[in-house]
Amino acid sequence: MRRGQSDLHTLAGAYALDAVPDGDRARFERHLGRCEACAQEIRGLREATARLGASAAVRPRAELKTQALRAIARTRQLPPLTRDDAPARPGWRARPGGGRAVSRLRQRPWVPRLATALAVGFLAVAVGMGVLAIGARHQVAQDQDRGHAIAAVLNASDVIMLTARVTTGGNATVLESRHEHSLVFTASGLPALPPTRSYELWLMGPGGTRPAGMLPRPRAGMIGPMVVSGLAAGDRMGLTVEPAGGSARPTSAAILILRLAS
Amino acid sequence: MSDSQELPQRGPADGAGADADAAVLLAHVARGDQIAFEEVYDLMAGPILGMVRGVVRDVAQSEEVMQEVLLDLWRTASRFDSSKGSAMAWVMTLAHRRAVDRVRSEQKSAERELRAASAQIDYDDVTEAVEATIDRERVRRCLRSLTDLQRESVTLAYYGSYSYSEVAGLLGVAVGTVKTRMRDGLIRLRDCLGVE
Repeated sequence: MRRGQSDLHTLAGAYALDAVPDGDRARFERHLGRCEACAQEIRGLREATARLGASAAVRPRAELKTQALRAIARTRQLPPLTRDDAPARPGWRARPGGGRAVSRLRQRPWVPRLATALAVGFLAVAVGMGVLAIGARHQVAQDQDRGHAIAAVLNASDVIMLTARVTTGGNATVLESRHEHSLVFTASGLPALPPTRSYELWLMGPGGTRPAGMLPRPRAGMIGPMVVSGLAAGDRMGLTVEPAGGSARPTSAAILILRLAS
Repeated sequence: MSDSQELPQRGPADGAGADADAAVLLAHVARGDQIAFEEVYDLMAGPILGMVRGVVRDVAQSEEVMQEVLLDLWRTASRFDSSKGSAMAWVMTLAHRRAVDRVRSEQKSAERELRAASAQIDYDDVTEAVEATIDRERVRRCLRSLTDLQRESVTLAYYGSYSYSEVAGLLGVAVGTVKTRMRDGLIRLRDCLGVE
């Protein structure tokens, strides 16, 4: 190789942008195979370029979906790569030390659209209730307030999404806006509790632990969305199982602790 | 990076309540699950098409490229490894390469020059009149945090399908400078977006 390592290394950006001619590309990919730090960097840069691309999403014509489904139905799939195979996609090589670290906490900035859909669904329900429940104005007003609070979080410029497994089963998804000092909590698949017990949310910060609300009973396995306001710096969010009326302080071990963005 | 990603569990009992998890969906797709593919389509087709249109421009050709990418995704889903990046990054990488290949195979220099002339407004162009995402404003803001040369280098390469030496020629700066700006720019973008 004629080029120095450092010169090759500066190709990382161009490579992640697919802006490297074939010759250079092959050379850089050989380098990637030997340089774990470089492979790691490429992975991070690819996440950034993917965000750049994905943020320009458009809605495809409906026929395209039918076409795609028809096409895959008659297309054979490739088997998984075995250990001996060369990596099919440079830039996605295995870490020699096994990069299989698993975290319970994921930041998935991609997926807020799902949560948006969820919240939009909720808003639609709230609006629907406005039509149906003519006698229940108070309830409707409350639902509208809640819908508004949810919309404020989802539309915040700094909204992020966190997801985590609940240790006793199920998943929690949180959309958080520091700017709004609020988060929207939803969960699915939480184990059903006896009538005498309920799930309770907590905010746990340097100033102590405060109750953040009781979770409603799940409907079709789903809970929420629930708005928690008044987030302070350094807060984490916790979930415990409490007596049905709720507790002023946690009386059992947390089944979920989520580090919030600070 | 890899430790901010959870591996999909490939057991049949997974997925309960985790329908949002594209990585898990891909694992199902890898086993020939057409319903999972449909969900992946709903999640990914919009981002793929949006990006491809930014690169390829022609609507009909962009739709073709999107279909190729989705078919690729179906065929090669078993090769996706969530320890090496997010599902979205994997798919968008596939898609961007396809789009760039399509443009380069045209080899119509006149068209590409036209593209260069408008590359600066590309991003805004592309993001207009399309479905809103929470992400968009943040990406724009982060792009604005780059220096002009970083931003131009990144967008010319990403949406203009130019190689780094072509970008250097277009911007009238040294090749080494462009390589560095692309890398610095993407690092800044990555940090600003909070992805690893």
